[in-house]
Amino acid sequence: MKLYARSAADLARSIRSKEHSVAEVVEAHLSRMERMEPILSAIITPLKEEARARASALDIALSRDENPGPLTGVPFIVKDNFCTRGVRTTCASRMLEGWVPPYDATVVRYLEEAGAVLIGKANMDEFAMGSSTEHSAFFTTGNPWDPRRVPGGSSGGSAAACAAGYAPLAFGSDTGGSIRQPAAFCGVYGFKPTYGMVSRYGVVPFASSLDQIGPFSRTLEDLLLAMEVIARPDERDATCSRALRPDFRKALDVTDLRGKRVGLVKEFEGYDIDGAVIESLRSAREILIDAGASVVDVTLPTVGHGLACYYIIAPAEASSNLARFDGVRYGFSAEADSLIELYHKTRQGGFGPEVKRRLLMGTYVLSSGYYDAYYNKALKVVAILRGEFDRAFSEVDFILAPTTPTLPFRKGENIGDPIRMYMSDLFTLPANMAGLPALSLNGGYSEGLPVGIQLIGPRFGEMEIFSAAAVIEKSLGLPRLAGGVL
Amino acid sequence: MAVTEDEVKHVARLARLEVGDDEVVALAGHFNLILTHFERLQEVDTSGVVDVVDAVDVTPWRNDEVASWDGRERALAQAPDRDEDYFRVPQILEEA
Repeated sequence: MKLYARSAADLARSIRSKEHSVAEVVEAHLSRMERMEPILSAIITPLKEEARARASALDIALSRDENPGPLTGVPFIVKDNFCTRGVRTTCASRMLEGWVPPYDATVVRYLEEAGAVLIGKANMDEFAMGSSTEHSAFFTTGNPWDPRRVPGGSSGGSAAACAAGYAPLAFGSDTGGSIRQPAAFCGVYGFKPTYGMVSRYGVVPFASSLDQIGPFSRTLEDLLLAMEVIARPDERDATCSRALRPDFRKALDVTDLRGKRVGLVKEFEGYDIDGAVIESLRSAREILIDAGASVVDVTLPTVGHGLACYYIIAPAEASSNLARFDGVRYGFSAEADSLIELYHKTRQGGFGPEVKRRLLMGTYVLSSGYYDAYYNKALKVVAILRGEFDRAFSEVDFILAPTTPTLPFRKGENIGDPIRMYMSDLFTLPANMAGLPALSLNGGYSEGLPVGIQLIGPRFGEMEIFSAAAVIEKSLGLPRLAGGVL
Repeated sequence: MAVTEDEVKHVARLARLEVGDDEVVALAGHFNLILTHFERLQEVDTSGVVDVVDAVDVTPWRNDEVASWDGRERALAQAPDRDEDYFRVPQILEEA
């Protein structure tokens, strides 16, 4: 099997046993990236020379029999909103086009300490606002199963790169579905951990009460390996739990789900869902039942209001978080004669249309006279939704749901209709609002396009999800590498 | 309750964004479309919700310990307009 088609766990093993050098592994992935990039455009900043230098340093350490980390020599990619010391971090925005962070995100540091090699920074919707990666200020990314279609978003570059074999591991951020929706569209695993499971320090914030960081992979083992490396306490993110994390890879051994209860959300039945998604859900349900699980209907009466709550709360928080872009300390700065003019011109020139739209909406719902009617109301509705999830999880161990209502859509199809674009996150954003862990996994293919399904667990109930995913993977097999024929 | 173009301009000023006259019309349309969507939230009875802060989310404190950081020069190097160890900005106050 080609090196770029192999899993992170497999690559780490063959590097440890000296079957392959880190340089060979890194070179194989760089050349895969070079071959596919003209078609996909998934990467904003490739790090070829940096990766080669790091590979030779790791090979030297290995030749001295220094103890390798769990990911030694494994290439990885991060979304371009992860701060990387000395490497520009753009958030796919003109605002940060030339910005070079003075420090690393905690997750990047943990991955490098584990021996992984950063080979590129991936395209995304500007400041993570979007569901198709078409809102990147630089270029659009192609779906590796059909480059005329979108890879999803906002972490579309990371998902496409992982699916196409640039790296076995990629990382993204998920505020309303920005890991899971592109994972579904690109046919890979994409996991949003419980709020508080992974440090967000050094990842440019969008909506802080909803943002989480998580991995993309092509095998469940890789996903859990990545989680073991990144899901650790961090004093620099006060929301990051200090509790001990489980040994996630233990879930790989699960074959028996007897006694487990799978929830199906009654309210989701009324939604307009593509037939291929319904078919994949049905077969996943059968697999879970065959493994001994029982299926129970649960009800989330308020879930239909999730979209409205999300598009009040997330822009409100964004309007506060993105106030920092003022042209004074870093990033784009316009010529101006007064301070107020500097703010206006910098923000006008630096932000793209979707970001501006959301900042205006966020400012509006927080402005006096509307705060109670919109922002406070949305927070209260979310409190009710959280309670409904709590009740559901007293009856079931995890929930099986679609990841997206449709298969990957065509470039340009939804760009002029923000509401339709927002609908793409219908099934993913409830987990953000309730702080729940949720995994998108490949549930099969329809007419050459991947179909995603979602498992949602209770807070810190990662093991429930991973156990069910292990059973499904054993039955369906691993997702395919995309773009093999391109 | 329709949002007027003047309100959009007011919100833009609050958000420190300049919006062109051509953009204002489109933005007002978008606002009204999305606010219609938000109106449905009023159907949800939230009278029983007293505390919207989840007790589980109370964050732990860390010790306030001094640590050194070697990134000062790297941070200042990003300044669009720098004067030694200061960020320069256009004049804020009028001269008396």
